[in-house]
Amino acid sequence: MTEPNRGDLAPVAGSPSSRLSTPARTIIVVGLLYLFLVGVKLLEVGINGLGSDFTDVLFESVDNPLAGLFVGILATVLVQSSSVTTSTIVALVASNVIGVEAAVPMVMGANIGTTVTNTIVSLAHVRRSGEFQRAFTAATMHDFFNVIAVAVLLPVELLTRALSRAARAVSEFLAGGGLSGGSFNSPIKGAVNWGAGLIEDALAGIGASDRALAIFALVIGIGLVFLTLTFITKNMRVLVAARIERSLNAALARSGIIGMLVGTVVTVAVQSSSITTSILIPLVASGILAVRNAYPITLGANIGTTITALLAALGAGKTDGLTIAVTHTLFNVAAISLLYPWRRLRYVPVSLAARLAKLAIRRPVLAILYLVGVFLVIPIVGIVILR
Amino acid sequence: MVLDFFRGTGRSVIEEVEAKIVQMLRDGRAVYDAAQGAVFGGGKSKKTKREVRSTDWEINIAQQEVRRALMLHMTVRETVDLPLVLSYMSVIKDAERIGDYAKNLYDLARYGADFEDAPDLAELEHYRDVVGQLIDEAADVFRERDANRAQQLVHKADGFLDEYDAHVKAAYNSTGAASEAVARALYYRHLKRVTAHVMNLMTALVMPLDRLDYYDEAKEDRT
Repeated sequence: MTEPNRGDLAPVAGSPSSRLSTPARTIIVVGLLYLFLVGVKLLEVGINGLGSDFTDVLFESVDNPLAGLFVGILATVLVQSSSVTTSTIVALVASNVIGVEAAVPMVMGANIGTTVTNTIVSLAHVRRSGEFQRAFTAATMHDFFNVIAVAVLLPVELLTRALSRAARAVSEFLAGGGLSGGSFNSPIKGAVNWGAGLIEDALAGIGASDRALAIFALVIGIGLVFLTLTFITKNMRVLVAARIERSLNAALARSGIIGMLVGTVVTVAVQSSSITTSILIPLVASGILAVRNAYPITLGANIGTTITALLAALGAGKTDGLTIAVTHTLFNVAAISLLYPWRRLRYVPVSLAARLAKLAIRRPVLAILYLVGVFLVIPIVGIVILR
Repeated sequence: MVLDFFRGTGRSVIEEVEAKIVQMLRDGRAVYDAAQGAVFGGGKSKKTKREVRSTDWEINIAQQEVRRALMLHMTVRETVDLPLVLSYMSVIKDAERIGDYAKNLYDLARYGADFEDAPDLAELEHYRDVVGQLIDEAADVFRERDANRAQQLVHKADGFLDEYDAHVKAAYNSTGAASEAVARALYYRHLKRVTAHVMNLMTALVMPLDRLDYYDEAKEDRT
């Protein structure tokens, strides 16, 4: 008989960071959120510092809505985070480099681009056809839903500006009495300006030219946004893991609004729709979560992910920035309101995804071609042609 | 559902899984008692049949719930509890099997086995009680995660395995009625299997992951 060796079965301790206490991790997340907002502010400062002659050239292509859409897709695919893209768009709008109207297609493109992550995750199941079929269906139903949503709502927006007008009304209502000259006083704006000011002063101390300082601010801003969002997501995932488990466990056998709410809440908590939708893929692949039950959770994640741009807009403190952030939320709410209530329309994305998955299990290379084609080739070709 | 997200941390999913495994063992004991009641004079009443089938069904459902919870846990927590999850996947199989073998004992009564007036009644009852107690102890030890008691229980159970084999061999060599020999051979065989699954289950508390179920490599023929 072997001696008792309970230690061999003890939970793996993981990295040192995984052993942080909950209060310590909470403080870290609050600090990271603050640095995220400082990053957005620095982006705005850097863009303004570059001057309109430079930024006009850089962003003139996004005046074409389709080009803007493709830029949104490509940028999100490259950084693997719609939160980074939309926060950057908020900063661009807040600094008046691009208008709300031009930014709307970019935000819609970010919505499509963010679905690349769970599609990549689904490829891990490619060696087992049954699993892969379910996983690829679950991943690509998100793609199809978002593409259909853009196909319906982008033309409506271009013709009527309904989304951006509604978003402006909402943002002006939210800004309330604090509105003055396109700015509003958010409770955290002063603190964010103070932090960004410290970094600006430090950069000014180097003695570089204004253009160089702007580029520094831009680089630091992008770096802060990217890094802080990465670490916020990692820490929040650990902080709320037990809650995610409980709510997803309860939602496994349910469909509809409950799943949607679970998807929204979990995504708001971890600040990443990719995390939520990527968690679903192995569950669907293993068969313990039905594709149709994963579908509303995925749609909820679409809404939940808009929280990051709203936070960024609070930090930027500009009505236009808030307007584009609210547009992102309204776009996702409108897409669900248009497609989900009608039984005939509801599962069209799921059916299309299931057909694509059937093709992909026969020829797995099609899955790769689909991934590269939709998320890289089409956006790049589109940008090149429409520029 | 959504409120589950905002509920206080309370019991973790792993703790809920552990509580469910303990309940599977308690239910296993209930099926075992009902089945033994049928073998020792109770006969094949509809009430007993219903009790055995429905409790065994509950054990099977609990096993599936635990699997789902463990899969979800692994997906959300990634590799943090990997060894624990893998060992519990093995543990629930053993807990479920205890119910299955208890059901097989009930099948003996259905075939007509009745030990109520058997000449070796005292011995049959002794082993009945020994195995029943083992299941109870396994539930207690698992609930308390007591590695020392787990090892003692494995030792204790191990001592009975050869006795069951001896009884099976005696039944094989018996010159009495075939029905009585078969009934005893199957009875002791099922007791041995329940005992072995209790031992397998206990190894999750005392053995490295790769050696789960291999509580004694020196001996053979444990299955």
